[in-house]
Amino acid sequence: METTPNQLFEMWRKQVEESAQVWTRLLSPERPAATPPDPTVFWRPVLDQGLQTWAKLFAQTPATPDLLAQWKQFLDQWIEAWSKILGQTMGTEQFAKLMGQSFDQFLAALGPLRKAAEQQTEQALQALGLPSRSQVTAVAKQIVELEERLERLEDRIDAVLRRFGKEPQ
Amino acid sequence: MGAETIREWQEELDKNVRRLRNLQTLVTRPVEPRVGQTPREEIYKTNKSRLYRYASSRRYRTPVLFVPNLGISRPYIFDLLPGASFIEHMTREGFDFYLLDWGVFGPEDNDLTVEHCVTKILPRMAQKVLQSSDARELSVLGYCMGAPMSASFIATHPEVPVKNYIDLAGPVDFSKVGVFGLWLKKEYFNVDRVVDTLGSIPADLVKAGFKLVKPTMDLSMSLNLWWNLWNDNYVEGFQALNRWANEYVAFPGEFFRQWVRDFYQENKLYRGELVMGGRPVRLENITCPVYVVGAKEDYIAPPACVRALIDLVGSRDKEYVELPGGHISLIAGRGAARHCWPKVSGWLARH
Repeated sequence: METTPNQLFEMWRKQVEESAQVWTRLLSPERPAATPPDPTVFWRPVLDQGLQTWAKLFAQTPATPDLLAQWKQFLDQWIEAWSKILGQTMGTEQFAKLMGQSFDQFLAALGPLRKAAEQQTEQALQALGLPSRSQVTAVAKQIVELEERLERLEDRIDAVLRRFGKEPQ
Repeated sequence: MGAETIREWQEELDKNVRRLRNLQTLVTRPVEPRVGQTPREEIYKTNKSRLYRYASSRRYRTPVLFVPNLGISRPYIFDLLPGASFIEHMTREGFDFYLLDWGVFGPEDNDLTVEHCVTKILPRMAQKVLQSSDARELSVLGYCMGAPMSASFIATHPEVPVKNYIDLAGPVDFSKVGVFGLWLKKEYFNVDRVVDTLGSIPADLVKAGFKLVKPTMDLSMSLNLWWNLWNDNYVEGFQALNRWANEYVAFPGEFFRQWVRDFYQENKLYRGELVMGGRPVRLENITCPVYVVGAKEDYIAPPACVRALIDLVGSRDKEYVELPGGHISLIAGRGAARHCWPKVSGWLARH
């Protein structure tokens, strides 16, 4: 009975360790970071907590619903440990560089596609005698500018009123 | 098995029945949570932005202008539900409270800049607050990016009578701004290319960025939901928070360009190199009492980048506090009601 939780956690530990290594390798393809993220720092307390939980689980006779709370606590810590591993990985220059490159590639692909789609839609709408998105946006922009001019005018009137000692409404 | 154990299992079974009942309701009859219930009145609007005044006893004569973030999310998080609302707390304490809701911008607003917000919209809003409350001075409370924006406004508009200024989790030294600062570095993030290609920064992209910062958030939220699903009050709170957490707001293109370039990439505000409306933004020009609040577990605006304001302002009366919580939980939720809200209202009451 005593070896079962240990075996389970040995399997789980191995899985965490291997996954973290895969992540680290994936995010640093050229050269390993000077101080690569150390997953053991995070999973060790979780593992210990888990072992205790499991030991209690198996030792308690009869089992009470308290075991579920302990299980929930263990899951919370497991998620938190992963959150820290991911946070540390994503907080590296390599990750930022990789993300920047991917985003640049995405934009490079999206730009011409978007332009072509916009042109086609515009032509189609023109053929149907309907206003295009850019025309509608231009009208809306004019309204915004008009409102802004009115605001400026109102500000000036307020300033003049104040100069004459009257409070603007 | 003892009687006590049997009773405990019965309770657990009851909880599970309630869990299943609430799950069924969530899936088959989801209700739109009623958020933002504190009575308010719209006193001014310009383009998409609105200024709201909340009903209060006005125990304190100096009105408070609350300036939250522009883009990213909607401001009803500050008035989420009765009993869980920062705004409700402030009005109950007797503050004449005004919220600036920047609004949801469309493609027609892509030319809007941070500079326009600081030099045109904020001075007008401050003026409207003074007019509406018939007061001679106002207090300004900036949250998140609303804090550096309002600090820039106060520093460049000495003619506006600002009595107090509060920075709630607002970054100032962007060299210490954490993971977003790293991702948005000039070497990795070409903001010109992004804005020129996309026009505006769509809400889905904003959402992706924030989800990526904390990838396990949805998992832990789902786990906590299941665990507390038997509790009707928790489910009500979850629905409201979940609605807010999934309602992202786009950034106008030029606003995003200036925000990323001047603040994140070049750290101009901290270095005193920012110019707005032809006026240099010098934070030492802020001389009113200043209260700066950082959140210990804030990964969006870590305490160090918030605290930096204290060393830059010219005020003699200035104070920094670091409270438990993250960027959101600093100001919303049960922890905020215990730690943050009383501190903010208490400091304002003393000033």
